Amino acid sequence: MDEQHFTFGKSLTLMQNDNTLIQQLKSKDERALSLLYDKYSGAIYGVIIKMIRDEGKAQNLLQDTFITVWEKAETYDADKGRFYTWVYRIAKNKTLNVLRKTDPLIQTDDFSVHTNKEDAISIDPEYLELNGALTSLEAHHKEAIELVYFKGYTHKEAHQEMNVPLGTFKSYIRQALKLLRETYSKSLSLLLLILNAL
Amino acid sequence: MMMDKKSLLENGLLEQYLLGELNANQCEKIEQLLASDNELKTHVEQLELDFENIGLENAITPPEFIKSQLLDKVKITTANPKVVTLAKNNNTKFYLGIAASVAGFLLIGSFWMYSQLSDVKEQLQTVDTTNTELNTTIETLNTELERTNSLYSEIVNPDTEHYILKGNASLPEAKVISYVNHKSKSVVINTERLPELDAEHDYQMWADVEGEMIDMGVISKGKTMMTMAYIDNAESLNITIEPSGGNDHPTVERLVTNVYLR
Repeated sequence: MDEQHFTFGKSLTLMQNDNTLIQQLKSKDERALSLLYDKYSGAIYGVIIKMIRDEGKAQNLLQDTFITVWEKAETYDADKGRFYTWVYRIAKNKTLNVLRKTDPLIQTDDFSVHTNKEDAISIDPEYLELNGALTSLEAHHKEAIELVYFKGYTHKEAHQEMNVPLGTFKSYIRQALKLLRETYSKSLSLLLLILNAL
Repeated sequence: MMMDKKSLLENGLLEQYLLGELNANQCEKIEQLLASDNELKTHVEQLELDFENIGLENAITPPEFIKSQLLDKVKITTANPKVVTLAKNNNTKFYLGIAASVAGFLLIGSFWMYSQLSDVKEQLQTVDTTNTELNTTIETLNTELERTNSLYSEIVNPDTEHYILKGNASLPEAKVISYVNHKSKSVVINTERLPELDAEHDYQMWADVEGEMIDMGVISKGKTMMTMAYIDNAESLNITIEPSGGNDHPTVERLVTNVYLR
């Protein structure tokens, strides 16, 4: 629980400073890029590495992602979503592109990248473990989130993977997010209590 | 695909939207709906926070060198455009500077040229005036010269006789020399020694032809040499003082000089 408070407190400070940093990033301020990298690279790296299951490729992709962030900062529109969401999408697309390219069998197959996913894992299994509030979820909720969020599955691919109807899968996701949010707001109220106590 | 608010909240499209599973067309529709509906927007913001928290909780610290490589690459990519932009700016400024200098120079040059032009115009006008004056002078001189020449040629002509009219008792200081050429029938006189008269009187010259005095002309004031009318068969030349402008008949009482012709 302590770790969770810390993380959540950290994300609160992130929210406060992001707008300024993003403005600076748009005006090509390297310091802003450095600070935004410090804040988000871990989360993005976690997503990439779980998706591609290759440390070397994950490192290249992470760097590539932030170079794109730097170059395309102008196109980021805060009205259309959070900075993290934007970076996450960039990272995910890049990773999926690499997965498609490196697997010639799959290139012709409806852009799906997961048919032989268990092959040749060159990665510390620790990196693939899930942490935080996700661990408190039931297995099917956890798996649903893992598939779409960390493995790059589409909803359509994921419900086939889990062998449940699409509607059921969608409700898994909805319920999982709801449960997670409850955990987060608990930790948020705890955090607020701590802040008040201070 | 249903795109109304209720179905959006339930069919998982928003989650797919955030996870980047939708195509550009679908994304645009959702963004339009979000822009117009605050409740939907709040819902999506909550989902975003959820996803972000999942990400942050599952963060894996990447190796340090990735960040330093990233910052190096970024420096390289920004350094070049910066240099280029600066160079461009400098070039633009440089050319602007040159253009401004040239413009300034032309402006000053124009003023200078204009003032020069005005000066030259003035000078030209002066020259023009002087020229006209000179021309007039030359014309006058020419006329004078012609006259003098003709008078001279009369005087020096071998056929010309010289008669001297000496002043009588009423005007003893007077002396007029007359040059008479009977062949060319011309008379020229030198009146240098004729005393000046007042404005109301002129000297007038007469020829005596068989006792009758015939007008030879009024002697102009201010001229020392002048041509008079030649009269055939003149026996003598006479000069009288007459009212200004001359008289029809000589005032004999005021005869000042005369000479008999041979």
